Amino acid sequence: MRLTFLSGSRRRTVASVVLAGLLTAGSLAGCGGEEKTAAGGGTTPSQAPSAAASVLTIKDPWVKAAPAGEMTAAFGTLVNATAADITVTGVESPASPMELHEMAMQDGKMVMQEKKGGFVIKAGGSHELAPGGDHLMLMKPAAEIKAGDEVTFTLKLADGTTVPFAAIAKPFAGAEESYAPGHGSPSGMPMGSMAP
Amino acid sequence: MKRLAAVIAAVLAVTAPGTPAWAHAQLMFADPAKDLTLTVAPAAVTLGFNERLRPDFTTIVVSDPARQRVAASPAVVDDKRVTLTLTGTWSNGTYTVAYRVVSVDGHTVQGSYPFTLADPNLPPAVPAPPSAAAAPASGGEDGGSNGPLIGVGAGTVLLAALGAGLYLSGRRRSSPQAGN
Amino acid sequence: MTLKPPSVSRRGLLTGGAAAGLGQVAAAAPATAATAADDTGTATVAFHGPRQAGVAQDPPAHAAFAAFTLAPGADRAALGRMMRLLTDDAARLTQGVPALGDTDATLAVLPARLTVTFGFGPGLYRAARLPSPVADLPKFSIDRLQSRWSGGDLLLQICADDPLTVAHTQRMMIKDARPFAAVRWVQQGFRRSPGVQSPEHTQRNVMGQLDGTANPRGGEIDPAVWNPDGSSTLVVRRVRAEMETWDKLSVTDKELAVGRRMESGAPLSGTLEHDRPDFAVLDETGLPKIPDFSHVTRARVEDPRLKILRRPYNYDGVPDASGVPDCGLIFAAYQRDIVEQFVPIQKRLAEKDLLNEWITPIGSAVFAVPPGCAEDGWIGEQVLA
Repeated sequence: MRLTFLSGSRRRTVASVVLAGLLTAGSLAGCGGEEKTAAGGGTTPSQAPSAAASVLTIKDPWVKAAPAGEMTAAFGTLVNATAADITVTGVESPASPMELHEMAMQDGKMVMQEKKGGFVIKAGGSHELAPGGDHLMLMKPAAEIKAGDEVTFTLKLADGTTVPFAAIAKPFAGAEESYAPGHGSPSGMPMGSMAP
Repeated sequence: MKRLAAVIAAVLAVTAPGTPAWAHAQLMFADPAKDLTLTVAPAAVTLGFNERLRPDFTTIVVSDPARQRVAASPAVVDDKRVTLTLTGTWSNGTYTVAYRVVSVDGHTVQGSYPFTLADPNLPPAVPAPPSAAAAPASGGEDGGSNGPLIGVGAGTVLLAALGAGLYLSGRRRSSPQAGN
Repeated sequence: MTLKPPSVSRRGLLTGGAAAGLGQVAAAAPATAATAADDTGTATVAFHGPRQAGVAQDPPAHAAFAAFTLAPGADRAALGRMMRLLTDDAARLTQGVPALGDTDATLAVLPARLTVTFGFGPGLYRAARLPSPVADLPKFSIDRLQSRWSGGDLLLQICADDPLTVAHTQRMMIKDARPFAAVRWVQQGFRRSPGVQSPEHTQRNVMGQLDGTANPRGGEIDPAVWNPDGSSTLVVRRVRAEMETWDKLSVTDKELAVGRRMESGAPLSGTLEHDRPDFAVLDETGLPKIPDFSHVTRARVEDPRLKILRRPYNYDGVPDASGVPDCGLIFAAYQRDIVEQFVPIQKRLAEKDLLNEWITPIGSAVFAVPPGCAEDGWIGEQVLA
């Protein structure tokens, strides 16, 4: 698996990846290096086609490093700079089968479950994907995701467009979710471990 | 007689007010001795201390009546003694021997004393420039007499005095300059 | 939780000037004091660039030097991954932006001139199967080195004007280094707090000496510190101050050992701190005013290209039960080339420097300082990519 190294500028401002729906994962791999130039402005990447049907960006993406076969998750902040709601209906990665997950209250307990209907990012709004909250679930990574690896993903939007991005793998230990199958109700979920 | 003087001086030294409780290097012996008048130029200056000298931290210089350094071979340290073999030319007048050594405990000890050359075969002395280091000085806040010098050097030695007059500035320090 | 975009983009360095509205306070303060600028917490130092930050800038008040031992099997590819991660952390945290997955993001928002400078020890190059630009120092007779303060494959020099910022940065970066390396040692040090003295003042160390008077300044820094490719080298020595015996010296004794006045820092041959030491000046008895065994005599470098940039921090640990202090200097020196610049000075000092009576090197480590990086790059990419 070729992990595309994408950015050093995720840190800054809005988009580490700002891509219009017409761009594909293939084109990302081909021009990953140039993507950084899009990071500064936060809205319009210089090389992005202006004919984009929808513009969704993901800020500060990262993925939790994990051994092969062990569930893990990717995080970041989805930012919708358009005047219309955007719905993320799915996500794909060459690294693993993927699902959109949410943490939800069920019978007084927080449980992790697939997010039916996807994530809706309001017009002009943003949607946080974070440990202990909504996240992009890697159900079974084919290979170890090592700290420092760059993993590519593609968000699928309701209007049929796709948003590719790359996330760096972090050796994260915190907000103790269990991603193991059958453990939908992690014990002692410290939801408050990241102060709002 | 010499031995007696040494004993008296030593007693005075250890009982003198202001003497530090810890041991610093002290000049015990000088050849030529302080204030001595020589009729023949010395071939060398030898200083003896009460503790072992550290060659890297031992400086001895002789300045002529014009306050120019007398040429010399590098000083040779042998245990508690340091010898400076003088190779320069001589003229009559007052010379200054200055030394700077470091005690075992790290304290710097420096001092100086004069001797005079009156060689009948040389032209008469020219007057020394003012403020040549003739007087024993006790610079620094911890100054004080603490270095008995017993002149027992060349065969022509005479003891200048006993008691306080015997003392040389064993620990003369450069004084901090005003305004600093 | 929403990570706000960086609200701090000021790159101004701390200056000693009184902030507006604080004029009265400044006027009442002693002449040598400066009022803390009101941006002490928010001031930033740019991370990206051809050279790493944290070298040429005035040292902030607090520092942690964290050295690591690489995990067995950490190869060039792993080192590249590690440096991508750590570079990303440093790039964010230095600008007041939380690290990715920052578990205490609220601690990241006051960078206080935070810099993170990376050093690569000889062991890192061995692990990457690359020739090392630096080698361990030769043994010096004065050394009493302890392994707990010596060596290291990777170094993070974390500096900021606030100790909590340093602590948070250290913690976040150690967490990200964990898969690749174990902590070998951490040395934490301090200088004067921001605003206590104006930056142009040479600061005193725990022994009361003005430390860094002879540093290269202004245009002298570049040719002494930087190689054309933006790299440098760093020596970190932990130097214990033997305060109990140092205390026994009179001021004059201390001045003769150092070769400078304790109060003004002036060489014993002069009157002002930055007077050039003149080793030929004699006192009235014919002795050199500056002893030949003094620290300034032995450490003096006249050729600007051969100077070293000292960036020292004090350390002050816990005294023992009898009150004997555990303090000294984290002596950090940057130079183009350790063998050409640092080693000759240290050799001269080891051979003969009266100050050795009161200082004992107990730790030593050398690091190559790789060039800086652009926004799309990472520290070390020139050798590890």
